[in-house]
Amino acid sequence: MSKELIRLRDLCMAYDDELVLDHLNLYINDKEFLTLLGPSGCGKTTTLRIIGGFTTPGSGDVLFDGVRINDVPPYKRQINTVFQKYALFPHLNVFENVAFGLRMQRRPDPADPKRRSKLPEEEIRQRVLEMLEAVSLKGFENRRTDALSGGQQQRVAIARALVNRPKVLLLDEPLGALDLKLRKDMQIELKRIQQQVGITFIYVTHDQEEALTMSDTIVVMDKGSIQQIGTPEDIYNEPKNAFVADFIGESNIIDGVMVRDKLVQMYGRQFPCLDGGFAENEPVDVVIRPEDIDIVPVEQGQLTGTVTNVTFKGMQYDIIVDFRGFKWLIQTTDHSPVGARIGIKIDPDGIHVMKKSRYSGLYGDYSSFSDEYDELDTVEPEEGGDEA
Amino acid sequence: MKRQNRLGSRALMALVFLFLYAPILLLIVFSFNKGNSNIVWTGFSLDWYRSLFQNRLIMRSVYTTLLVSLLATAISTAAGTFAAIGFYSLRRRSRAALNTVNSIPMMNADIVTGVAMCLFFVAFFSFWGDFSVWFNSVQSVVVLPERLTLGFGTLLIAHVTFDIPYVILSVGPKLRQMDKNLVDAAQDLGCTWMQAFWKVILPEIKPGIASGALTAFTMSVDDFIISYFTAGSSSSTLAMTIYGMTKKRVTPEINAVSTLLFVTVLVLLVIVNLREARAERTGEERRPVSQKLTRMLDTPKGRIFRRGAAVVLAASFLIVVVLLTGATNAQPVVNVCSWGEYIDEDLITRFEEETGIIVNYQTAESNEALYSLLKSGAGDYDVIVPSDYMISQLIEEGMLAELDYGQIPNYTLISERFKGLTYDPQERYTVPYAWGTVGIIYNTAKVEGPITSWSAMFDEKYAGNVLMFRNSRDAMATALSYLGYSLNTVDETELREAFQLLKDAKSRGVYQSFVMDEIFQKLEGGNAAIGAYYAGDYLTMLENNEDLAFVVPEEGSNWFMDAMCVLKDAPHYEEALAWINFIASTEANLANMDYLWYASPNQEALEQYPAYYEELYEEPLDQEAYDIIAAPEEVLERCEAYLVLPLETRKLYNELWTELGI
Repeated sequence: MSKELIRLRDLCMAYDDELVLDHLNLYINDKEFLTLLGPSGCGKTTTLRIIGGFTTPGSGDVLFDGVRINDVPPYKRQINTVFQKYALFPHLNVFENVAFGLRMQRRPDPADPKRRSKLPEEEIRQRVLEMLEAVSLKGFENRRTDALSGGQQQRVAIARALVNRPKVLLLDEPLGALDLKLRKDMQIELKRIQQQVGITFIYVTHDQEEALTMSDTIVVMDKGSIQQIGTPEDIYNEPKNAFVADFIGESNIIDGVMVRDKLVQMYGRQFPCLDGGFAENEPVDVVIRPEDIDIVPVEQGQLTGTVTNVTFKGMQYDIIVDFRGFKWLIQTTDHSPVGARIGIKIDPDGIHVMKKSRYSGLYGDYSSFSDEYDELDTVEPEEGGDEA
Repeated sequence: MKRQNRLGSRALMALVFLFLYAPILLLIVFSFNKGNSNIVWTGFSLDWYRSLFQNRLIMRSVYTTLLVSLLATAISTAAGTFAAIGFYSLRRRSRAALNTVNSIPMMNADIVTGVAMCLFFVAFFSFWGDFSVWFNSVQSVVVLPERLTLGFGTLLIAHVTFDIPYVILSVGPKLRQMDKNLVDAAQDLGCTWMQAFWKVILPEIKPGIASGALTAFTMSVDDFIISYFTAGSSSSTLAMTIYGMTKKRVTPEINAVSTLLFVTVLVLLVIVNLREARAERTGEERRPVSQKLTRMLDTPKGRIFRRGAAVVLAASFLIVVVLLTGATNAQPVVNVCSWGEYIDEDLITRFEEETGIIVNYQTAESNEALYSLLKSGAGDYDVIVPSDYMISQLIEEGMLAELDYGQIPNYTLISERFKGLTYDPQERYTVPYAWGTVGIIYNTAKVEGPITSWSAMFDEKYAGNVLMFRNSRDAMATALSYLGYSLNTVDETELREAFQLLKDAKSRGVYQSFVMDEIFQKLEGGNAAIGAYYAGDYLTMLENNEDLAFVVPEEGSNWFMDAMCVLKDAPHYEEALAWINFIASTEANLANMDYLWYASPNQEALEQYPAYYEELYEEPLDQEAYDIIAAPEEVLERCEAYLVLPLETRKLYNELWTELGI
């Protein structure tokens, strides 16, 4: 149904001998909401800037509608951008900010097709006012941009980009500067706008929840490479490797051996599962989501361990359980006190088996788990000037 | 206790401000003084401002200053802004390095910058000379000028150079404050880089550019040292002219022009500071008027007006440039270097009106300073007015051009007494300008009985009240005269004996200080009792202090002759001869004699001066005063002119002078 709009072919990019993009290949469909997700320095912003035309790739091609656009400057691309911290023009009011792109536009004069003329003032006015209404900023035309709240500035930035009717809208961490409540509202708002205007959104974020909420497709990136492309459900339920499993949601990642199809061995015990296609006795990474683990009496448990930490989270308890030195996170509605011996049971569909990768052994142990660590993890330092 | 402390700190602050501002206040107050003294208040008047605006030298230098400052500001603002943008788009490390490179010229001593630029220009001109000769010889399509000189062009280049760092310094922070995505956003919305610059970067950094331009303008108006070394002989900035005028004494006219300069710079600084203060406040309430204006200018009519204004601005800028280059090229000029306060400036005006030749008139500090200016190549003058001994040296070194006396008919008016003197025995290089004697000026209210001997200059009786020359030749001459030796002696024992005399007197505290033109203030104000100086200057001092007396001591003294010479390869030889002829005329000599109170070498002028004086001032000229100006034969007989000393003797003078340690 959707046709391919943008293709990135074998993009490589290095700053000061540091590889920022490593042979990146990706295609983006028309009208798709695609999110580039990854930690700071993974190359997501660079990818976005290459699509926008602000950065020239070291090698590789950027195709738009099948045409190579590597050397097309930003002002000739049918792409507009919503920048980090909005980049509104401080010397112009709201109306003029939104009208900026339209005032720059030239199109063949209807009277004399050889000449290119400006858009008529009336058309500009009309389109700007329409756009401001669409982002609920009617009546704010003459305000100075620095007199607006963060959310309002955000909407001006979106209006300023969309008023040009681009085929693609690039959004570079647009919600990063907003508080949590506003961020949640804007997520829904953005999705609504995208469906309303019906164009491709390419969205960059490090916030996995944002990505899961809005995207049609998520591209998980790390160290300049794509780790996995898929729908939010695919990415969550079938992570390709330990990095993706850890980055999206919470995961216990355990060393295992695939005894045969649909049977995996951990801690010397065999667990039935649904995965297959591995060699016999192939070492694998096993992902078990915290909410897929049931606590049972010790004698009924497939495994037994000791509770070392309990945190009340409102809807559930986060329980850290020590299984022979390896700590798991379990989310459960049942309370177990610290020091209690418990048994656990995992259904076959709660077990996800992944091939070993270079990320094996790096993630999935909750030894150092605490609330603070979790918080710190999601607050990302601003991306360095050199990468941007 | 606390209260006392506060009082103490207030007093301290008052003192600090007093020290900071008292000198300037004094200068401002005395610019409104009726009389020409800087010490005695004789009533309020605006005369000095009036005479300031009638002074062509000053007005021309004001014009030069404004022109060079405006042009330098325009160029350096444009260049500095783009440089700042270049710096900004660099990586952090190279940017930091470049910022350091940028700030070095600002902290560098001006004198070093000035000398370096002067050397560079002179070296470049010499290279250019060789190149253009070769270039003109191999082709005939384009004829390059073979001789470039320091002048307005180099002055402008120098100003642009030292202004640029200030612009970069004030634009840079504005750029760094700017959201770095703004340019991307503009390009994203359809701007080319250039359009993004005009529509987004420029409005953002405008305050930085404006304060950069203001700083640059202030710096340019303010500058003396760098201009001094790069302006050459044909242009003078206001600061240079003021400096030239102060060589003799600080007249209230200088107070007036300094006051105006001070006020100008003050106003500029206040504007800069107000701008910054306003920028610091949040911009909510600002610029309702300018916004209205912007909106007005955005209507179709407004746009036409805007375009028109731009065209007019550009055109007037072009016209200024054309006028500037045209004026300097089309009109004949002559570059004169003389001493401070050494000409009746009306003569310059009259000469210009009569001949249409523009006179660029500059002054040097001393014969020695003039000599080094000439040697460095920075002083490419046509006419100079050195003293006798320096003329001998210049002739010896082949630096003077032979004069075509056929074009100087007024030379015949020069008294035979003053022709063919030792420095130019064959009358080939010089036309005498003025002459005079050196003597002792003393305050009769502070000294008992008339002074007749040089001994007064070494007498402990007057300890702390004697002013001695601050140059080796004149200082040694007082001692040599006293000892009865020739002023031109090369005998080391005689010289050492004279030196010992000076040294002993110094160690016994006879001398209040070693001075040149500061002597005016000190003797007029009664701060010192005795000083050795030039006869003509005594009469100037007498106007402000009637107690002063003058004597050419009985042992004899120095008499000197300053004469006009033309430098070899002078670019305006014909004009130089016209100038010399004009100055040699009886009329000019009378005017100069009256202005300088130095004696004229023109026989007619010497004879007619008493009558001229009487007609002008409606009172007869005092014979005594006349004899002081133009020493009678019997006085001249006991005087001796300086001759150029051999190199070893000059070295000895330097050694001894250093040993004296002033």
